[in-house]
Parts: sequence; C-alpha cells; structure tokens
Amino acid sequence: MLARVAENLYWMARYLERAEDTARLINATTMLLMDMPRGASFGWEDLLKVVGLDEAFHKHYDEASETAVMSFLIQDERNPSSIFACVRMARENTRTFREVLPRESWEWVNELYLYTSTHLGHALDRRKRFEVLTEIIRRRQAVVGLLSGTMSRDDGFQFMRLGRNVERADMTSRVLDVSYAINLPYQNSQYYDLIWMSVLHALSAHQMYRRHVGVHARGHKVLGFLLNDLLFPRSVRHCLHEIQFALGELPGAEPMRRLQGMLDLVDRADYRALAANGLHEFCDDIQKRLADLNGIISQTYFRAAHPQKMSQSLFSLV
Amino acid sequence: MMKIDCGTYPLTGGFDELLEAAGKPRPSAEGLCDYFAGLPADELEARHRAVDAAIMAAGITFTVYSEAGNIDRAWPFDVVPRIIEKSEWDGIEAGLKQRLKALNLFIDDIYHEQKIIQDGVFPAEVLADSKNFRQACVGANPPFGVWAHICGTDLVRDGDGTFYVLEDNLRVPSGVSYMLENRQLMKRLFPELFARYDVLPVDSYTAQLYDMLAALSPRSGDRPEIAVLTPGVYNSAYFEHSYLAQQMGAYLVEGSDLVVLDDDCVYMKTIEGLTRLDVIYRRVDDDFIDPEVFRADSTLGVPGLMRAWKAGKVGIANAPGSGVADDKVVYAYVPQMIEYYLGEKAILPNVPSYLCMHQEDCDYVLANLDKLVVKPANESGGYGMLIGPKSTAEEQATFARLIRENPRNYMAQPTLSLSTVPTLCDGAIEPRHVDLRPFILQSKDINVTRGGLTRVALRRGSLVVNSSQGGGSKDTWIVQGVI
Repeated sequence: MLARVAENLYWMARYLERAEDTARLINATTMLLMDMPRGASFGWEDLLKVVGLDEAFHKHYDEASETAVMSFLIQDERNPSSIFACVRMARENTRTFREVLPRESWEWVNELYLYTSTHLGHALDRRKRFEVLTEIIRRRQAVVGLLSGTMSRDDGFQFMRLGRNVERADMTSRVLDVSYAINLPYQNSQYYDLIWMSVLHALSAHQMYRRHVGVHARGHKVLGFLLNDLLFPRSVRHCLHEIQFALGELPGAEPMRRLQGMLDLVDRADYRALAANGLHEFCDDIQKRLADLNGIISQTYFRAAHPQKMSQSLFSLV
Repeated sequence: MMKIDCGTYPLTGGFDELLEAAGKPRPSAEGLCDYFAGLPADELEARHRAVDAAIMAAGITFTVYSEAGNIDRAWPFDVVPRIIEKSEWDGIEAGLKQRLKALNLFIDDIYHEQKIIQDGVFPAEVLADSKNFRQACVGANPPFGVWAHICGTDLVRDGDGTFYVLEDNLRVPSGVSYMLENRQLMKRLFPELFARYDVLPVDSYTAQLYDMLAALSPRSGDRPEIAVLTPGVYNSAYFEHSYLAQQMGAYLVEGSDLVVLDDDCVYMKTIEGLTRLDVIYRRVDDDFIDPEVFRADSTLGVPGLMRAWKAGKVGIANAPGSGVADDKVVYAYVPQMIEYYLGEKAILPNVPSYLCMHQEDCDYVLANLDKLVVKPANESGGYGMLIGPKSTAEEQATFARLIRENPRNYMAQPTLSLSTVPTLCDGAIEPRHVDLRPFILQSKDINVTRGGLTRVALRRGSLVVNSSQGGGSKDTWIVQGVI
C-alpha cells in the first residue's frame, strides 16, 4: 500500500468519526440542557471546552450563544473540526483513493457531503437540528457498514480502522474529562445521577450502560464502563483493542509496543479512586499517549509520503 | 412536455445516424424509435432526472480550467444512444487496427534508421520541426517494437455517410472511462431497451488494458506491479485515472510516490518501504515525466524514469516520444505510411488536408480561411482552432498572421458536415453533431473497443464536441441485429 494513500485513508476515517461524534455530542447536549435546572452553570461555553475548541471559537466570536456555538461546531469552515469541514475533508481525501475502496463507498461519501452541504443551515434551528444531525450520523454509519460488508480486510481497511479508533478513544477521554469537571459542582445534589447519566448520553453509552451495568449511574461504574469495558465499542479499552487488531495486520513493531502501555494503564486503574480524585490527570495522560501513538503511526507508515522530511536511506527494500 | 417523437424530428439535411428521413428510422433504429414513442413523457422526464442524479452521486466529473478557477462539472450525458450495425463496425475496426500498426512501425522507424525518410516517403523537414520528437528516445527498444499502446482515434461521418479519421490521439488520450460509465448508466435507466437489442458489451476494456500493460512487464510472473501515473487530483481527467486504476486493481500513483534507485529500477514508496514497480500507465505528458531529461521544473514526474525505461527495467505506456506521430501534419501522411510499411491501401480515409508548409496549400488556405477549419499541429482539446464559416474577419486575420509566422505548425481541412444524432435538448428532440472516439490497444495483441465514446456538440449547430468546450456524450451501441 502506498504510504500517501495509507495516510489519506487514516485521516479520512478520523474526519468521519469526528463528524459523527460531534453530531452525537451536540444532540445529547441539546437534550440535556432541557433537563437542567434554571440557572445551572452548564452552558454552550462548556460544550466548546468539551471538544477543546473554546480558544479557537473566541478568535472569531464574542459571546458563546447557542446560535454562534452551533454555527461554529456545525458549519463554520474556519473551524477545521466542524462537521462540515470534516465531511468535506473526508470527501476530498476519498477522491484521492477511490481505487482502493469498493466503488459505492465514494458515491456514499460524496452523497454524505452533498447532503451535509445542503442541509447544515437547518441544523442551526433547534427544532430541525436533531433531524439533520441524525441523518448525518445515519449516512456516515451507512458508509461504515458498506465498507464492513464489502471491503477485504486489507491494509487499507486496517488504516481506516486505526484512524476511526484513535479518534474515538480521544473523543471519549475528552468528553469524560471535561464534562466531569463541569458537572463537579453538582456532586452532592439531587442532580448527581443526572450528571453521570449526561456523560453517558454524550457518548451514546446510556443504553448499553443500563443494560450491562445498571440503571443507576454511579461515578466509578461509569468510569469503568467508559474507560475499561471490553464490549462497549466507544470505551477506550475497546478502541485500544481495535487498534491492536489493526496493528497486528500491519508491519512494524513500535506502534504495538506503545499501545501496550496504554492498555496496561486502563486495565490497572482504580476507578473508585478516580471517581473521587485525579480523573483530569488520568484523561490527560490518555490523550498524551494517543497523540504519541498517532506520531508513531505516521513515523512508521506515512513517512515515505513526505520525502522532504526524510532521506532515502530510511527505506528498507522489500 | 418531454417526448422523443421521430415523426416531428427536424432533420438538418446532413447524415443522421438514426433516421433516414423524418418519421423513417434506419432499420437498426426502428426498435429504439418505437420504444421512445411508447414512453410516456413524464416517465422520460423522470429517467432523465435519474440520470443527472446518478451522475452527481457517482461524482462522474471532469474539470474545466478557466480564469475563474477550476470547476468540477458533472459529465453531461444524453439518453438517446447512437447505433452502428456490426457489419459496418467490422470494417472500421479493421481500419483502426491497420492504422495503429502502421503508426507504431513509423514511430519505431523514426527513432531508429528513419528508412521512411531515406526512401522519400516522409519529408525530413516535418520531423525536423516536430515539437514531439524526443532526442532522448532515439535508439530505445520498447517491447514488441510498440510505442503507442493506447490510441484514441477520432472519427467523423460526413454528409455522404463515409467515416473519416479526423486525428490520432497517441499521447494520453482520455474518455474511455466515460464510454464505460455511459453504458452502466444506460443499463440502469433503460433496462427494457437492452431486451430489444443485441448490444455488444464494452466492459472487457479494462481487462484488455490490464493484459496489454502486463505484457510490458520486464519481469516474468503472473502478477506484475502495475500503476497508473496521474498528475494528481486537480487534473481534468483525474476521475478517469482513478477509475481505471480501480477497475484494474492497479495502484494510482503520483510522481512523488515513485523513486528510481541506482539499479535503474522504479520503486513505489509503500508502508513497508520500497516495492518495485513493473509497468506504468502514465497519464502525464512527456514534458513532465522526468525532470532529469525533460522539463527540469516538473514536480509531476520521477527523476530517472527515462533511464529506467531505456534500461528495460520498467514498461511505460504510451512510450515516451510516441507523440511524434500525434501531430496534425504527420497525420496527413498516415495513408502513405500504411502503404509503405504494410503494403496495403488505407481502409479508413483521412479528411483531405492542406499543409501550410507547402506553398501551394498555404496559398489556398490563406485565400479560403472563411471556409476551412484551421488547426495547430500540436494542440489537443479543441484549443487554438479556427472554424472558418463561424469566424469573424478579425479572427481570420489573426490566423493569417499565425500561419505566415509558422506555416509548419498549421494545417487546414474542409468543414465537414458532421453527422447528427437525435438528442434531448430542453425537453425537445433535436439533431446534434457527433464524432466518435474508439480506443485501440496494442502490445502483444491488438484490440479495439466495441464502439467508443460518442461525443456530442450540445449547442445547436455547433461542431465542437470537446467536453472542455460544452460537449456531452452518448452511449454507443454496436448491434448484432434487432431482436
């Protein structure tokens, strides 16, 4: 597989995952806000913090009103993580490797883009938002399903799997980190359950949590579920396992070695203690390690695509 | 109301591919006219819309260069197919094979002894002024002595019904993916029509292309590594490059994905390091393929590629330098080439051509600029042409000056009354002019597509079919017989 193509596949999967995760997060937040007590401190500003875009937002907007935040997260091209920017980049990337994917995948990614570019304006209106974002999620999932059902498990497939899961693990740790901090003031109030449940909602994890863990959202159990559950596909542990499978099919040993450290970390953590103290440092550690893994993945596989950064002697002949 | 009605079809007086006279379809088109006559207007409209939607969704596009930037346009497709009977096609196919064989013998000769010049059949001065002759290719020996492996020959049919060769595209001819896509669209949208006709399939092209390329591999083995070399995503034919790579299961590479090492082999930069590449189907012009030999400022090519090719370590299609025969002046000599190399008469006639390098011809051209089509020798895509009957006095003056400055670079042909095919235009059925570009493949074997790409000038009366200048396309059917 060409290094350039591998890199484009990896990022295409990351962009699409980011678009979907953002859509889910916005939907969950819109719902949660309707449950919160009048005058609660949680607001749109906090949502920007959850996705790590508060600074970028204030470069272009003054006040974090609902309209401004939604516009920034959904359709503003100045925000490279906005849903529209992600879908557009995923589509541009897909154009460069149409030949490695089953033919319909380009068509479906292109349709996702066409839908997104014509409907996002409606998503600014609260009443239409849920409908439009859900349709985007549906169409993105159709692409994932199509690939899963029609594409050989070749190197290209593994790079998309890597990108998807690195992005998803990152999103899970971020949402957990920030929404916990934001919700902390309510720890001993009647909203305690509600707040942990909202964290689960933000990650579309509430239903599986109820089914596999319990109906009450207890801090340490939620943390254990979102960080270390083997079966839930958005838990950090599950994402790491997916990364492990993908790396197992690809050449090179270094990414796997780095991954092991992260697996040990989530496996050995004391979630009861973390629920009371130190969650921020823990999530920070995970995010740093994911960034590190991302760096090692590009070093190992994509290096050849950037001739200016390397000399030919780095290649091994095969 | 959108309706295809052969009875009220306004024939123009030229040759129409489907109708002999108003209300009188040619025998091969009877079934088609019958079918469209029975199709309710709203149904036709719905299918027409479905075609547009399918093209948008599939992202079948081409890029138009303009001052306002590059625009990605959906491929304009017309739903009425063009029909050619197999008995007629067989003759055309034989003519196309004959022509490409002679052209390849010519190119090989030109880069070796140049016997055709010594024997006085081809003038030395034409070669001396050729922009596409590559000194670096002299003495090279590509496999089978074949240089132009993929040829897109443009055919036109004149008022009397004769097919003429308009030009041979031997550099990086494009359009074949649209030919394949057009058939897919027709099968999806008018499945009933295929039940009425025995239409010869076109989709063996990609397998033939693969086999043709594989035969150029310098290494033995079942699965050579083959790549399509593209200038990148901003090239107007990028869709086709990607499409062909996908259909052949080949790599789609850009120049920066490749490297030539000291062993003169070409390698691809992969996730595992370097992998040797055997055959390159290049869609990059000669000028840009190797900055060590040609344009030094090219970032689209691969330094050392010519070295690798001349050492026989990589197959390249079309071979560098094959453009020497893709020249509108050289074109005029193809009938002589066929006689010289093959000892046969040309099956397909050339359009009569006036070469401005000959004083007599030049005088005639200058005196008749308002009647002729004047073409520069080395342009493609319909750029830089003068269409006499549609030109202004000012344009004619400009061309007179250009011709006097550089007569070798210009040739002229009479304005042909290109044949027409019924075409759906704003809901009504009207005649539009068409040409035909079949594709011929040659390495170990020689194959011709069944039919080709029919390009249609969508503007009323226009003779310019190039997609970059408002042209569209139609599915082309070679029919065995009507069921």
